Amino acid sequence: MATGDGGAYSYSLTVFSPSGKLVQIEHALARVSQGTTSLGIKATNGIVIATEKKASSILMDMSMIEKVCMICPNIGIVYSGMGPDYRVLVSKARKSAQAYWKIYGEYPPTRVLVQELATVMQQATQSGGVRPYGVSLLVAGWDPNRGATLYQVDPSGSFWAWKASAIGKNMINAKTFLEKRYNDDISLEDAIHTALLTLKEGFEGQMTEKTIELGIITVPSKEELRELGGEAGLSVPNAGTGRPKPTFRKLTEEEVRDYLAM
Amino acid sequence: MSAQERRFNPYTENGGTILAIAGQDFTVIAGDTRQSEGYNIQTRYAPKVFRLTDKAVLAVNGFAADGNMFVQKVQQRLEWYQHAHNKEMPLRAIARLIQTMLYAKRFFPYYVYNILGGIEDDGSGAVYSFDPVGSYEREACRAAGAAQSLVQPFLDNQIYFKNQLPPSGGAHPKHLPLKEVLSLVIDSFTGATERHIEVGDGLEIYIVTASKRPNADLEAIANLKQVPGGFIGGEDGEKIYVVRRELKKD
Amino acid sequence: MSIMEYNGGSVVAMAGKDCVAIASDLRLGNQALTIATNFEKVFPVTERIMLGMAGLATDVLTLRDRFRFRVNMYTIKEEREIEPETFAHLVSSTLYERRFGPYFIEPVIAGLGKGTNKPFIASTDVIGCINFAKDFVVAGTATDKLFGVAESLWEPDLEPEDLFETISQTLMNAVDRDAFSGWGAVVHIITPEKVITRHLKARMD
Repeated sequence: MATGDGGAYSYSLTVFSPSGKLVQIEHALARVSQGTTSLGIKATNGIVIATEKKASSILMDMSMIEKVCMICPNIGIVYSGMGPDYRVLVSKARKSAQAYWKIYGEYPPTRVLVQELATVMQQATQSGGVRPYGVSLLVAGWDPNRGATLYQVDPSGSFWAWKASAIGKNMINAKTFLEKRYNDDISLEDAIHTALLTLKEGFEGQMTEKTIELGIITVPSKEELRELGGEAGLSVPNAGTGRPKPTFRKLTEEEVRDYLAM
Repeated sequence: MSAQERRFNPYTENGGTILAIAGQDFTVIAGDTRQSEGYNIQTRYAPKVFRLTDKAVLAVNGFAADGNMFVQKVQQRLEWYQHAHNKEMPLRAIARLIQTMLYAKRFFPYYVYNILGGIEDDGSGAVYSFDPVGSYEREACRAAGAAQSLVQPFLDNQIYFKNQLPPSGGAHPKHLPLKEVLSLVIDSFTGATERHIEVGDGLEIYIVTASKRPNADLEAIANLKQVPGGFIGGEDGEKIYVVRRELKKD
Repeated sequence: MSIMEYNGGSVVAMAGKDCVAIASDLRLGNQALTIATNFEKVFPVTERIMLGMAGLATDVLTLRDRFRFRVNMYTIKEEREIEPETFAHLVSSTLYERRFGPYFIEPVIAGLGKGTNKPFIASTDVIGCINFAKDFVVAGTATDKLFGVAESLWEPDLEPEDLFETISQTLMNAVDRDAFSGWGAVVHIITPEKVITRHLKARMD
């Protein structure tokens, strides 16, 4: 029906193609693989997530651009793909983490937050009037139950746990590189260096503290866990008062510079 | 709409708790010393337990002004009795006198719960408890006042052995030794002080001992003082002692 | 007429050495009239957490179901058992949802932490303000009496059998002085190995 307002075709739903593909999602994935490379590596005592930060103009103030974000004190994420979509997801993830905190008095386990994010992204593949999110995410987190875990979430809403993974422009090469470099007893320090080396492959331009962002999960020691509230590591110290010590943090420009110099 | 009615309220409630336990040949009567009105502490030392005779002690709780006035009136009546009969009034007679005096003001009562403790003519420890209008009863133990609901069930358990099985082939003791009674009194008041805002500051424990009681067990009690009295019974007569202790002041 | 005294009933929980105990009376009343004498007010949440609720009976039943639903959802979503602390927060936030039209119950929570077996007890008011106590918590129409007896009978680090005696004596002597509570009692002792449940023979008046 060809009416003025677009008629029956006006809903912009993700629709199956006759071959069973959802082309909208494939387009979204294509958009992700055009994005700057991001990667994550799980080590024995933590996780590192890293990304490349590209300036489209030398006039841009890169210190104001943030690609590695803290969602809650035990979870950080990074993305490849569309920056604006990522910002929306970060905001939704933070809200979700706070809502969880308001109910249970502790921050969500990584898997629960990943599920929540994946649900948001999946809904964009099935709802009317929206397009899928043009990002893939790497989610690094620590929780007392599952320890340190690294997840990837795709525009389709599917997610996996990784020992190491890469997304974005150079993901194929980066993954091959990581496969060669990874072993099960890598330390966090080594993982950070491996992350930088991996980014270096196929890096365009100079790798500096201005063009690299790093975030790390540090697994708390037994003593720190006791402070957090007993062996179980519940994040409610002193019977509901006080705040849990963050296990995720972003590295400062100074720290990134030092790692690059090493 | 009727005009706003204003009326003077002659009563107030001054908090605090009292407690008495009768032994075989002694009676312990105790009360805290905090006096409050609402959330305001008026004084940390306002006695609620008073010597009446050499063998009778009265604890009053409720409206402090009424309590003090009532004690004075009882003491006055007991003095008259002594002048008239040249002897101290027996405990059971004091109890009946208190009933009469309370009921006399049936329609403008003394807003006071009384507990009378002492030694009967037969030498036994006795506790009489009263309501504000004179209903009374002789008992082995009684708590009254702000923390009555906290203390009384504890006393039921520890004095009357409620909900406890007697040792096989035996029975629960009828009376407890003084040492145990004192520690129950102290436990009751520290517990009440912990959980009730109107209880605390100080604790006064009066001990009335029967005539000819071997009071050797009194020597172990810290801060024990004999209360001076008429000594009508002589050296062998009933004696009154008081122990003053601190309670938490918060 | 206070709605908290409409049905009557009391709950108490105590912490011991590597164990906790939680107990309730069995009376269900309609003001002064006793309707039933088998109304338990303590419910299992997980294998090592129990929840007791004193207050309006209809809300006790509603919230029992509501908490069962929420804990089931939690268990499925998180693929793990809820911890006592976390459950206390769940109770608190569930009650606070109804801040301006509350459920008329005061909950009491008792449990052991996973792995650590750390004793945990807590209570909240009708709108979910949590009281994390180290010794004992009480709720219901015999609150004052329970506090008075518990304050004098409880001591730290009681073994399961001694804790059972302490909580039983506390509850029975308190409810015997409360007209709205009593008519028998049930006691649960949670130890790392098992939950021991005993029905007490108490005064029936």
